[in-house]
Amino acid sequence: MLETADRPVSHDDSSAASSGHSPVALNAINRWVPHNLVMRDSWFPVAHDYSVTGKPVRRAIYSHPIFLWRDNGVVVASEFHPNERIARDKSEFTNTQGRYPVMEHYGVVWIWFGNPLAADPRHLPSLPFLPPKGGLPRHMTATVRFESAAPISLENLIDLTHADFLHADVVGDERSDSETVETFYDSETVTMVRTCVNKSVAPVMKFFSGIKQPTQNVRQVIRIYLRSHCAIAYGRFSPGDDVPLFHPCTPETRDRTRMEMVMNTSNAGLMFRHVMPKAGYKVSRQDSYMTSPQSPRYMRHTDRKDLHSKFDQAGQRYRMAMMELADRQANGDFAYRDNVSADCSDIIGLRKELFRF
Amino acid sequence: MSLDSDLWWAVARSEEVTSQKPLSLDIGDQPVVLWRDNQGIARALEDRCPHRRAPLSLGCIRDNGQIQCGYHGWSYDGETGRLKEIPNMKDQQKFPPIYKANAFAVSEQPGFVRVCLNPKAQAPLNADPKYTYVGTVNVSCSHQEYLNALYDDPGLILSIRGVRFSPYLMSELHEENGMLVMERNCQWHPLHWPSHFVAEFPLTLLTRTHPLTGETQLTLRDDQFHDLLYAVLSPVPSARGVTAVRWRAELGVRHPGVRGAVLRGINPLSVHASVDGSKLRATKPTVSLHGEDLRKVMLETTPATHDQTVAA
Repeated sequence: MLETADRPVSHDDSSAASSGHSPVALNAINRWVPHNLVMRDSWFPVAHDYSVTGKPVRRAIYSHPIFLWRDNGVVVASEFHPNERIARDKSEFTNTQGRYPVMEHYGVVWIWFGNPLAADPRHLPSLPFLPPKGGLPRHMTATVRFESAAPISLENLIDLTHADFLHADVVGDERSDSETVETFYDSETVTMVRTCVNKSVAPVMKFFSGIKQPTQNVRQVIRIYLRSHCAIAYGRFSPGDDVPLFHPCTPETRDRTRMEMVMNTSNAGLMFRHVMPKAGYKVSRQDSYMTSPQSPRYMRHTDRKDLHSKFDQAGQRYRMAMMELADRQANGDFAYRDNVSADCSDIIGLRKELFRF
Repeated sequence: MSLDSDLWWAVARSEEVTSQKPLSLDIGDQPVVLWRDNQGIARALEDRCPHRRAPLSLGCIRDNGQIQCGYHGWSYDGETGRLKEIPNMKDQQKFPPIYKANAFAVSEQPGFVRVCLNPKAQAPLNADPKYTYVGTVNVSCSHQEYLNALYDDPGLILSIRGVRFSPYLMSELHEENGMLVMERNCQWHPLHWPSHFVAEFPLTLLTRTHPLTGETQLTLRDDQFHDLLYAVLSPVPSARGVTAVRWRAELGVRHPGVRGAVLRGINPLSVHASVDGSKLRATKPTVSLHGEDLRKVMLETTPATHDQTVAA
């Protein structure tokens, strides 16, 4: 269970980083090739529910085509377009009719990519800050694309120290009285908690939430569901607002990523509620500015190892967890050893009173 | 790249090959002369007179269909390359077999004349459809770099009227029936949202590329799977690192509205005669890296033949 397996890296004497007993050695993660990590038997978010109508729309996971439309209001996910002159074989990821398992939850359409017989709603990631039946206003959602591999985008996310430089004009600079980073993980998730005391106030909050103080205490959580390539980015700012973000990085191809983001700012003030989700457009381009040229440099194996600081432990753990899971899958083991759908409110420190549905 | 294999290169558009004037071209470092004999059959010889090495393409085509060197008037048969006549030796009509220019295999399908440097190569099966729009450009760019540009950003080498290529792929480069296949998302030009914030793309460009010759079929589709435009692009490595590109295109289903009308305007496809070096340099090699890896695997597992299925 998550509660017992979830543990800080620094307290884990048997972790791969300290003992080398893991199937994935530390040297390997410093030379990882994220483009080669292909996950399956997982729910992938592919569309906001409102974008699927009677007219087929196209999506992809690892280049596998997906066509979505509604038939009497029910979402259909097929690997063939209704107008397509079918000249190719059906893949192993769909049923005899060429249909993917599909479900709607949290206002998002999810596709099961893997053995269709293994599709199970119990493997859907827990996103406790989103209403299970959806319904958030559209201005809290967006579609954003990255010209990089999905694991590169997620590694970027879980290393929040980059935000102080790349996104300083949105979330504030690196100045704070203290900063700690903790990492928790199990076989299916990696969670990073960053706590900053008296950090420079995020400009977006200064201008749109009316924060007058020069500093604020910040607790930021990044929780990644490895298989789904989905992340929760939850910031608690004091003084300030709670900003939970659903940040999926769906691998449309091995080198291009799609994000159907949802930011629940329902509890924030009027201005901030509307402006903050739009910040994703700016922040994503700032990230792309770095990850886009970075990604091709991870397409092939190299003998040169990446260097790290102490703040990179979450990113390293993410690399290791992904490689271990990929190894397992390469050996035919697609079983879930930990429950990804168990409510993670406590793990991410969600203030439940703000998010009751 | 080895040019000695049984590869068939689409070196010319059919209408470029006439019985009026020989056509000079290259396949890699091999100069080739191409013409049509008195039967209308396309012929290809090395562009080098065995007598004094003058380019045969500087000569002329005789009424009997033979090519005649412009230097001393030696005449050669297009099918065999055998010397047939020396003007000063009219009394001698038979020459030893060694008196010949190297002949190459030629195959013509509606639209393209293909040449194989192996004269015994089997002609490819092909069925090119009719194409209305055609062109030839010589690009100062190596064959491989040209293909890499096509993979990483087709906008570097071609334009489709009213269409903008996005950096986002619907399907990354992969092997499909011996071809390198990929599909790129596109938008209508010029009014569009920034591609990195777009939920749905209205168009895709499907490309199917032969792993050795680089001959590529392009299909522009709308989001309802209608083929709006298809084309064949044939880049051939030529002398001095130049890539000679012949292309043909045809419009498909009419897309409704102004955008469809714009696409159907004059020259829906144009292939650029040069590649912008500053843009090429700044283009990140992503798809082309996959392409390189895929080509290696394909060449290890399949012989270097040109089963030309581009038009299939």
